[in-house]
Amino acid sequence: MTRTDTATTKGADDQAMVTLEGVDKYFGSFQALRDIHLSVARQEVVVVLGPSGSGKSTLIRCVNRLERHDRGRITVDGVELSNDVKTIRQVRRLTGMVFQQFNLFPHLTVLDNITLAPRQVRRMPRHEAEDLAMELLERVKIPEQARKYPGQLSGGQQQRVAIARSLATEPKVMMFDEPTSALDPEMIKEVLDVMQELAGTGMTMICVTHEMGFAREVASRVVFMDEGEIVEVGTPEHFFIEPAEERTKRFLEQIL
Amino acid sequence: MTATVPPTENHDGGARREAPARPTARAWARENLFNNRHNSVLSVVIAAGLVVLTIYGARFLFVTGQWEPVRTNLTLLMMGTFPRAEQWRVVVQVYLLCAAVGLVWGGLTSSSRDRARDAGIPFSRARLRDGIRRWWPVFVLLLALLGMTRTWLPLGFVASALTVGVVARRAMEALGAVWRGPAWFFAGICALAGWQVVSGTGGIAWWWGSALVAAAVLRTTRNVRTDARWQPLARFALIAGAIAVVWAVYAQFDFSGVGWDDWSGFQLNLVAAAASIVLAFPVGLAAAVGRRSKLPAVRFLSVGYIELIRGVPLITLLFMGDLFLGFFLPTEDPLSKVTRAIAVMTLFTGAYLAEIVRGGLQAVPRGQVEAAQAIGLSAPRVLGMIVLPQALRAVIPALVGQFINLFKDSTLLSIIALTEILRIRESIHGQREFLIVGIAETLVFVAFAFWALAFTMSRESQRLERRLGVGER
Repeated sequence: MTRTDTATTKGADDQAMVTLEGVDKYFGSFQALRDIHLSVARQEVVVVLGPSGSGKSTLIRCVNRLERHDRGRITVDGVELSNDVKTIRQVRRLTGMVFQQFNLFPHLTVLDNITLAPRQVRRMPRHEAEDLAMELLERVKIPEQARKYPGQLSGGQQQRVAIARSLATEPKVMMFDEPTSALDPEMIKEVLDVMQELAGTGMTMICVTHEMGFAREVASRVVFMDEGEIVEVGTPEHFFIEPAEERTKRFLEQIL
Repeated sequence: MTATVPPTENHDGGARREAPARPTARAWARENLFNNRHNSVLSVVIAAGLVVLTIYGARFLFVTGQWEPVRTNLTLLMMGTFPRAEQWRVVVQVYLLCAAVGLVWGGLTSSSRDRARDAGIPFSRARLRDGIRRWWPVFVLLLALLGMTRTWLPLGFVASALTVGVVARRAMEALGAVWRGPAWFFAGICALAGWQVVSGTGGIAWWWGSALVAAAVLRTTRNVRTDARWQPLARFALIAGAIAVVWAVYAQFDFSGVGWDDWSGFQLNLVAAAASIVLAFPVGLAAAVGRRSKLPAVRFLSVGYIELIRGVPLITLLFMGDLFLGFFLPTEDPLSKVTRAIAVMTLFTGAYLAEIVRGGLQAVPRGQVEAAQAIGLSAPRVLGMIVLPQALRAVIPALVGQFINLFKDSTLLSIIALTEILRIRESIHGQREFLIVGIAETLVFVAFAFWALAFTMSRESQRLERRLGVGER
């Protein structure tokens, strides 16, 4: 097994934004994650690939404790995840997450969706939070939708609002859980563009996606998972041109 | 089709055409009522039936109906045995409640007006006509009541009370957003004072009132910022002054004397139902959330409460509450009969509400909780700001249905010898001149009083649903 992640190009451990060491996760007797070791450096964009059921989503959901890992250590920006409620909230404040199904709050306007966290978690006054929200909506290019409800937007617009909502908490890591899988084909690009722009600003990102083009162009590293374990890690060039593992080759043959 | 087609030419499916005009009544009837032989026969038969029913109904209401028992005993039906010398308390209460409702309503109107302005949406305020259309069952009930009175006094009373409400509402609309916060407190004070003046629950309300006034002053002066060193002192003086005024006003009135137990008639139905609805809602919420709690003790308690109460008939519970609720409470003086009845109705309704709310909680997708957690909201906020609003919106019809049930079930209070309206109606026919007179009419009157209010609740719930349905996905 070629596990190159322990010696990343950016190296030193104090640089790492997210580290997972020997992480196991079970759902009942089914093992979803097997001895995961991964270190994501600051400003790095890691794309996680793999067949469905390979544990990609579980991996990132463990990082912000939407799932509880059963063994191993997970650290985000030097904070180690524990069962302590305060630590969990601290980690959640450091991370942002974008879901496949957007999960916008349907009873709140777009603006309120975005200002909710700044106002409630960071105690920001309303007008300041709204200024911030409008700035973020400009960034995802839909400021004119601020007063609408999520149900009135297209899928692509909703996903961009979801990205803005995550950014409003000023996270240090953004995690994407198949952000374009629930979108109509013509809307995928507008979301990927926003993600690419975000990567350009130096945001640390972990993306679970099936968009190979995005992986090739934007990823600093690609992680390939199968059956709950990390099979191969490498630069996009290495990964797409000369994959070392048999399983990786088979996966690439199937999708390309 | 090519781009060179001149615009005057008309093609099917091409140029934009006008929306079909609304059909005339005649055309509509031909299409929907008389479009084939069967339907025509059916329409004629049903129309004839309706005409006959209307004629009989109108004849009963205006010609043959013997409304004398209702007319003679209207005050009795409404207020029961409430001491006549103390009636002014009820009058004051109604004025105060009207003022409170007017303040809140006006505040809500002006805040939605402001929001509409911010969002650039045209806003038209409700007119009198809209109000009548919205509340017509209540207005019909009021008209029926006024039609039964023997003097002009009640008419003046109703008219002036409505005027108080309208004036309060207009005032709130005219005043700016700054006054909205304090207005909630003033509405609260009005409601509290209205409660006080009738129930006479003693000295505690002095403290509630003072706290409310202090909070109102704080809220009002919150946005006044100066650097002056005397500012905290001035604020303190203002609060002290306001409290002193409250106490001075309170001291003018005798609040003791009229307790719960004097309440009866329709007033008792209304108050018992309203109190139980207000109290049962938080009980139901807590039990629903508790039933899904991770803590076994909380879950066990909630399940036990819900299943125990739901398995026993309300009448049995009322008897039990009447007979031995007092034994369980560590208090010297026994709780009044009405208090015990309200407690039982609250617990009973709470258990049903809990199951309704639980259904709503289950309807909220898991992703909503995850998204709320992911942006760092604490568990209570996830529940209060994300889960509950969506859960409750989904179950409004069932919730209001339960409230309507509770309102109608207040007639069961008669079985524990509380003189609610149905019991009073019975006693009317114990009067010598009405022994066999107008038995159906009094029953119709009681039924109508309940129907008018229950139907209004139902309509309001549909309205609320429509309004909250904005942006439904």
